[in-house]
Amino acid sequence: MKSITKIYPETQRRANDQVDFTLFPAEILSLAGENGAGKSTLMKILYGLTSCDSGEIQVHGQPFAHPSPIEAGKRGIGMVHQHFMLVEEFTVTENVVLGEESTALTGFLDRRRNRQRVASLIEEHHFSLSPDDRVMSLSVGQKQQVEILKMLMRDVNILILDEPTSVLTQLEIDSLFTTLRKLQRHGVSIILITHKLHEIKDISDRVAVMREGRMVGVYETATVSEEDIARAMMGDEGLSVVRKERHQMNLDPVLSFDHVSLIRHNQDHPLLDDISFTVHPGEILGCAAVSGNGLGQLESVLLGNLPVSSGEIRYHDEVLTSVHHTATTRKRGIPFVPSDRLYTGCSLTEKVSDNVIATSRKRFFPPFNVSRKEIESYTSQLIETYGISATPSAPIGTLSGGGIQKVILAREIEGIRDLIICCEPTWGLDVNSTAFIHRQIVQLRNDGVGVLLISSNIDEMLALADRLLVFSRGGVSARFSASDMSSLTKEELSPYLLGKKRMEVTLA
Amino acid sequence: MRKIERFSVLEYFLRSLFGILAIVLLSVLMLIAAIFLLSNQPLTSIASFFAGPFSSLYAIGNMIDHAVPLAIGAVGIALAMRSGNMNIGGEGQVYAGALVTTIVALALPGWGLTGILIALTSSMLVSGSVAGLSGWLRERWNVSDLITTFLLSNIIILVVDYMVAYPFVDPQTNLISTRFVDPSYHLPILLPPSQLNTALLIALLCVISAHLFLYRSRTGFELRMVGDNEEFARYAGVDHRLYRILPMTLSGALYGLGGALAILGTYHATIKGFSAGMGWNALLVALIARFKPAAIIPAALFFAYIDAGARSAMFYSDVTYEIAYIVQAVIFFLISSRILQRIALGRRRV
Repeated sequence: MKSITKIYPETQRRANDQVDFTLFPAEILSLAGENGAGKSTLMKILYGLTSCDSGEIQVHGQPFAHPSPIEAGKRGIGMVHQHFMLVEEFTVTENVVLGEESTALTGFLDRRRNRQRVASLIEEHHFSLSPDDRVMSLSVGQKQQVEILKMLMRDVNILILDEPTSVLTQLEIDSLFTTLRKLQRHGVSIILITHKLHEIKDISDRVAVMREGRMVGVYETATVSEEDIARAMMGDEGLSVVRKERHQMNLDPVLSFDHVSLIRHNQDHPLLDDISFTVHPGEILGCAAVSGNGLGQLESVLLGNLPVSSGEIRYHDEVLTSVHHTATTRKRGIPFVPSDRLYTGCSLTEKVSDNVIATSRKRFFPPFNVSRKEIESYTSQLIETYGISATPSAPIGTLSGGGIQKVILAREIEGIRDLIICCEPTWGLDVNSTAFIHRQIVQLRNDGVGVLLISSNIDEMLALADRLLVFSRGGVSARFSASDMSSLTKEELSPYLLGKKRMEVTLA
Repeated sequence: MRKIERFSVLEYFLRSLFGILAIVLLSVLMLIAAIFLLSNQPLTSIASFFAGPFSSLYAIGNMIDHAVPLAIGAVGIALAMRSGNMNIGGEGQVYAGALVTTIVALALPGWGLTGILIALTSSMLVSGSVAGLSGWLRERWNVSDLITTFLLSNIIILVVDYMVAYPFVDPQTNLISTRFVDPSYHLPILLPPSQLNTALLIALLCVISAHLFLYRSRTGFELRMVGDNEEFARYAGVDHRLYRILPMTLSGALYGLGGALAILGTYHATIKGFSAGMGWNALLVALIARFKPAAIIPAALFFAYIDAGARSAMFYSDVTYEIAYIVQAVIFFLISSRILQRIALGRRRV
């Protein structure tokens, strides 16, 4: 792949900027980078799911001009998506042969032959599957094996795996890696999209690192350390945001977590492991982690979608959640910027104005409101205050990603008393929207609001957070106090992020 | 990242308007084509089809009267659909509403207005609880409302058929029918000699209140939020469980009301199978109106017009009533393909 450039029209952001990418036969290459670095976009272009604005692709020396998933399949390129593409009600055999079925002369499916083909593949790779299992009854690791079987059935020679280990247990990861090495010996080239550094070291021959849409380096894995890769992923330059002097910190906490754990019976380690922290007025408390290490669960618990297994969350002295009760954060009206802004944070087909008043329904419908004028004028006022390019009556789905996020933030800020929770507030946004969101968050803190910032963007954390918690495998691996923060660097942070180091817990 | 489709506001509006006009136009074209194929005197047929319903005050009145239960049922459907629920048990709920009203009226002869109010309320309660039950089943055990409303409706139809044919049958007539309710229960006629009666006013009231409810009340706003994006509604602190049960109950109650008004205003007795098709047709009207209460009046009238046109063409020329079914089928096909498209796009996540 040469000079691949892709610009998403929604945000005018260069998701891929002049990216060069080469893959050799029978090698395992890791494609690393933070969220939004452009890894997935690059692979989608290769697989034909999206097209590039400029650049060219060659597969086995042949130009690959009009990629589509079907065309990619013909060239032997296969992709296992992070979210599996399987028919849950079908058996393993049916899923694997779908689109490649052997048929008898009569035109009907040759069930026995199909089953046999699948059974022999399973045999060959020592998968723990039966061809007759229904996919819905399988574990996540087994489902992934079915996905890989699908690829093997199609004789792929370039296999792309998108975050294959994010949902697997350690045992499943080990067996996946065994399979991958075996495929490699059979001459298959494998691209592994990941940001888990020890896995990169573990399995791949080379590692290609992307940051902000550019390819920043390709290394022989044997010659670089995890730290080198981490530095390349995160970059050197941080974000600069003007911060004010800190307020006095002896105020009572607005939000406190008291030994909160979340345990799922089918997982080999707790999703949240004995989490305790407090958020005080006038500070930004950051919770940072590489994705898949508990931030998502933290958000779900706070949103009230998952009940905690033990511990308590309190807003001032009021208990928001206790064992087996989902949190009442939202029913209490605590402002919250969710990470999934398109599906949780707004209703795309509804007007901007209806989205704006969605969390202040009592104010605008007491309980009837015959005139919508008040709603419209309130929305117009908000749009003007926050400089959002929109009209109140347009469906919010017609706005850009940054525009939608500004509307959500504006709405939540208007409902603020002394606490706001922000999850991945700038994920996938362009530079200007990001700066805008950061300014707003700092402004809130300066106004004495307690901010809980949950984000996997490390630059953002270093720029914004007054205090920082690092999560790794569901637990807190490090705590940095306000005095630590001023001199904290990514290099110091990365071992904790990667779970290689763990601080002795001292309660702040 | 998931992509969002983008249109301007004007484009959005034009698209919706164009969609409906295209459906109406296509179905009328299909109708004309069908008549040319099936009739030996196509011009007479077409003339009587299109002009027939407007030939006299009597015809106009009956056409509008026919639209009344459809409009009321459609309002109910709209409420259910806008909240992300599905009620396709209209057939049974209309029929049950009709029978309950008839029984109340027969049990309390001569009660007049009080009796009418009791009869209507009981019908709404019965049909409302039947549909509400489906809502509750979905809330409690995630049982598909599509299936429960439909199956319950089939059972109800059989039960009502039995009630009409045995315990409440009027042995004096040749029809399988209950006795006629006494005249104190008859709704006043608005446009004699046609059957158009004050049920029309109730239908208008239903449409207006549903519109105000959906767009101007907090409950309606929350209902739309849940229907549009349940995840978002939950995030915003809406008790989404309530909005499984409440809209289903309302939609059942409105179907019941439609059936009850058909008895008090038009039929005056529950005749076996008299309401067959009303539930489905109301669903169709709601689909044409895209579940917007304000659009239900023209949609119901359009539907009643096609129906009256077919009757008139059958009466004055050589085509049969089935011609109306062809048009209905075409409309249903065109509209449901849009619905399928929406489901395919993941708008209604079950």
